Amino acid sequence: MPIVSIDADRLNTLLGKTHPTETLSDALEQIGCDVEDVVAIDRYRCPNCAALVEASLGAETVKVCSVCGHTQEESFAKVDAVTVIRLDLLAARPDLFDIGGLARALKGYLGETRGLPRYEVGPAALVVEVEGSTADVRPYIRCAVVRVPPLDDATLATLMKMQENLHWGVGRDRKLASIGVYDLDRVKGPVRYTTLEPDTHPFEPLGMPGRPMTGRQILTEHPKGVAYAHLLAELPRYPALIDADGQVLSMPPIINGDASRVQVGSRNLFIDVTGISDAAAAHSLHMLVSSLIELGGHAFAVEVRQIAGETLVTPDLTPKSTVIELARAKQWLGLPLDADSLTDALERMRVDVRPLDAGRTSFEVTYPRFRGDIRHMVDLFEDLAIGFGYANIVPAQIPSMTVSVARPEEARSEMVRAGLLGLGYTEIMSLPLTTEADHFEKLRLPVPARYPRVANPKLKALTVVRSHLMTGVLQALHENRRRPMPIRLFEMDNVIRLADGGRNGIAEDRNLCFADVGPDAGYAVARATLDAMLRELGLVAKYEAIEHPTFTTGRVARFTTGTAVQGVIGEVHPEVVVGFGLEYPISLVEMTVSPVDF
Amino acid sequence: MPGPILTEAALTVWRALEGGPADVAELVARTGLDQSQITVVANDGEAGGFIEVETRPRDEVDADAAAPIGDALPERRAARLLSKAGGAMAMAEFVAAAQAAGLAINEVFKWGGARGWIKRDKSGVTLLAQDFEAEQPDEAAVRKSLAGQRFLDEQGGDPEPVRKLLASRDDLAKLRKRTQRILRLTDAARAALAAGVEVRRERNQLTSEDFRSGAWRHTTLRPYDVTLAAADVSPAKLHPVRKIIEQTRRAFLELGFEEVVSPTAEVAFWNFDALFQPQDHPARDMQDTFYMADPARAALPAADVVRAVKRAHEDGGDTGSTGWGYTWHEERARPVVLRTHTTAATIQALARHPQPPYKAFCVGWTYRNETLSYKHLPVFHQVDGIVIDEHANLATLLGVLEAFYRKMGFEKVKFKPAFYPYTEPSVDVMVYMESRKRWIEMGGSGIFRPEVTEPLGCKHPVLAWGLGIERLAMMRLGFNDIRELYQGGLEIVEGVPLCR
Repeated sequence: MPIVSIDADRLNTLLGKTHPTETLSDALEQIGCDVEDVVAIDRYRCPNCAALVEASLGAETVKVCSVCGHTQEESFAKVDAVTVIRLDLLAARPDLFDIGGLARALKGYLGETRGLPRYEVGPAALVVEVEGSTADVRPYIRCAVVRVPPLDDATLATLMKMQENLHWGVGRDRKLASIGVYDLDRVKGPVRYTTLEPDTHPFEPLGMPGRPMTGRQILTEHPKGVAYAHLLAELPRYPALIDADGQVLSMPPIINGDASRVQVGSRNLFIDVTGISDAAAAHSLHMLVSSLIELGGHAFAVEVRQIAGETLVTPDLTPKSTVIELARAKQWLGLPLDADSLTDALERMRVDVRPLDAGRTSFEVTYPRFRGDIRHMVDLFEDLAIGFGYANIVPAQIPSMTVSVARPEEARSEMVRAGLLGLGYTEIMSLPLTTEADHFEKLRLPVPARYPRVANPKLKALTVVRSHLMTGVLQALHENRRRPMPIRLFEMDNVIRLADGGRNGIAEDRNLCFADVGPDAGYAVARATLDAMLRELGLVAKYEAIEHPTFTTGRVARFTTGTAVQGVIGEVHPEVVVGFGLEYPISLVEMTVSPVDF
Repeated sequence: MPGPILTEAALTVWRALEGGPADVAELVARTGLDQSQITVVANDGEAGGFIEVETRPRDEVDADAAAPIGDALPERRAARLLSKAGGAMAMAEFVAAAQAAGLAINEVFKWGGARGWIKRDKSGVTLLAQDFEAEQPDEAAVRKSLAGQRFLDEQGGDPEPVRKLLASRDDLAKLRKRTQRILRLTDAARAALAAGVEVRRERNQLTSEDFRSGAWRHTTLRPYDVTLAAADVSPAKLHPVRKIIEQTRRAFLELGFEEVVSPTAEVAFWNFDALFQPQDHPARDMQDTFYMADPARAALPAADVVRAVKRAHEDGGDTGSTGWGYTWHEERARPVVLRTHTTAATIQALARHPQPPYKAFCVGWTYRNETLSYKHLPVFHQVDGIVIDEHANLATLLGVLEAFYRKMGFEKVKFKPAFYPYTEPSVDVMVYMESRKRWIEMGGSGIFRPEVTEPLGCKHPVLAWGLGIERLAMMRLGFNDIRELYQGGLEIVEGVPLCR
């Protein structure tokens, strides 16, 4: 999860109060944020783009700009140190990604400003014309203009971070939607959303004034271009925003032009969100504009002239509403609620509540448009519970009686474990994913044409879901080879095998593998243990000599019991012993203890 | 005054000493007792005033590893070279000849110089002595040692040149500092022997013959120093993760839950779709989830269940939800994945048993497509529990969680809001860890969204929670590297006492 650092003093400024940092971090936890820690952090200035860059925890220099990617040998200049509350971003709540959104939530939770935040959108301040060629590359665009008090360091840094976090949380790393922000005073409208040939129209990308690059050059040479090249590489033409002077403003979703970049002092922001998901583009825009309004901005509309001719006026910050019922809320939450406490708790969460009937049993709840997480009444019940305060909930007990039932394979496994511990075998556990080399080849087994095989492991060789436990046990013997002999180990766990007609095409068994290594290990030792175990389970085995590549011929048998319990017992082949780095005889039993019925 | 009571061993030693003093090695040879037994007799005798023990330092010539001697001594071979060349050679000439003979030049100068045979200076290398073929004192010492006379003081001759020559020459023989202990009977002992002593039978261990014959009646077991440490042994034990799993199972069973399972290789429908996870959700990416190549696809459950889930995703169906607003595809629900959570098991228990009251839990391996690190494994255990009940709500969820975590050994539990995709509201459980003196986030929980439960025919709120077993094991048992748990090293098992 990305982490965002919130400057405590600045948060207090936005709240218009001076809360102790602890009060702020407690309140953030109470509304559901994951507070990592509260720390002092140094801030540096990027000499290239003038952005404020936070040092990593414990770092004493900053040499890479997190905004423009500028890298240099010596450290940037240190600006100041601030106390920050570090939060893990909540993927489900992009409205809590930034200081503006958090201030909005805390104003309600701490009681200063309750109910719905009202966001006005002023008349259209810009026109964006969408050209037909974008339909096949990146079809959706939504825009806004926001007038802000002259941007200071901190707000600029927040804006950059917000953009980055929304790319992560809503834009699916710029794939679904990506945001561009420009200094409107350096853009001449109307703006065209169009596409360009990869090798024409060079422009100076952000952070590289004086170095014009074509689209293709950016994808192969610019660090951001290389990082996101996969989003455009296959396309014949690349999306671009161009202003009335023919200036390339940006190449979404990769990078903006340097000439129109936002900087300290900018007062008019033009924001575009392009994407392949209209919902994600709209959501990103609402989130960003709402937060900028919280930071003192005023939003103005942009007329987006669609290909088909109609005009879309964005952003649309009209609140949404839904109906909730008091009775359902009480049932769902088990809290002592009435109309007043319900209203009170919800208003703390920055929504408006209006009773729909005289008896105040159902209510219309109006919530901000950016709350894309609300799809059902129960989503507002969660807000209601948070507004009520989790700490105020009195845990209650469920009165109904139910009878416990354990799985049959577990009951049998418990017996087996007790028996083996009594015989001096220690339990090991090993991972159920392994490799063909370890699972088959090292045991002198042919790699089967078909086995339960993983398609896409990050660790390339990790394709085998185990069908026996011998690998883990032999690896454990190897791991303990420097200990005094003998060593006695066992593992008991599920193994899977392909079974056409079985659930999902597989069958599972609870297997047991136990092994002895040492000068006296051998068939007789294993056999004695096995017979004892079977006796304890009330079973009698029949043994039959077999050939098995993992074992020495003449010292290996298959055994059956007339039940699902069956397996193989023998002295491990010397080649296998040596292959696992051991130099004493090993005797081993692999058996099915119980089938697992789903 | 009555005579001393001797052990059989003491009497044997006393008798051996009657003829005169003897050292420990001699007594071992003569009595057949071992060194420790003789030491006990000596200490007891000294304490009683019956034996005097004299200690003498002595040098043992340990020539067991002697290699160059006689014709093999490099300095002797070099002296022969010089002698043949008339007693002197230029440096370069000598070096060439010595190397051709396979001699290490630095050893030749070192040992040849020490013996006063060879000198080197600007003019070259000169032979100083002619008697270099005679046996040298250190050679004699090595020869005698190999013949059984290991101590310098018993070899005769002047020990000083030998000490000097062997002091730094480990390849020939090692000089070891030893202490010789010579035992001598005192007059009191002789008098006691003459007057007659009482003999006591002493043993380390009684034999079954001793028990049968009654010999134990006049046998003393040698006293031990009972404060000494014993051998280090460890009982055969369960793996620490198994202990936590069993504790978890017991907690659920004591609370009236039914234990359920589901396949390791699960159809995406049950792992994702049934939990209202949209089909384009990043967790379903190849990046995060193990997909099976074989079996690659599996059948979906009954058509009405599939239809209800499809509608919940698309427009909410009858659940009162807006749904996700996209077109749900059956094909995308068919791939087989390694289950990413044990909720895949509890959700199927819910589908089988949608009527309250019902409680179910599942413990088992879950899989995430990660590489190995000290913090993460691609496979780990989870436990999930669900409660279907007419009284299921947020307050009873907290009650159930409190009861469960108490059974898991956490007395102090608190709750904070969280945001999980298929529960609403969602709750994070924080437990107070005495050992770390802080609150730790232990697991997630919540009430299943209606989009999850209603398509499966369940009309009641369902409480659900889960936690990672390894994380709990690491926290509780103090491991720092999660990989250690499954590498098979027994120190992991031995290092966790049964009481933890």
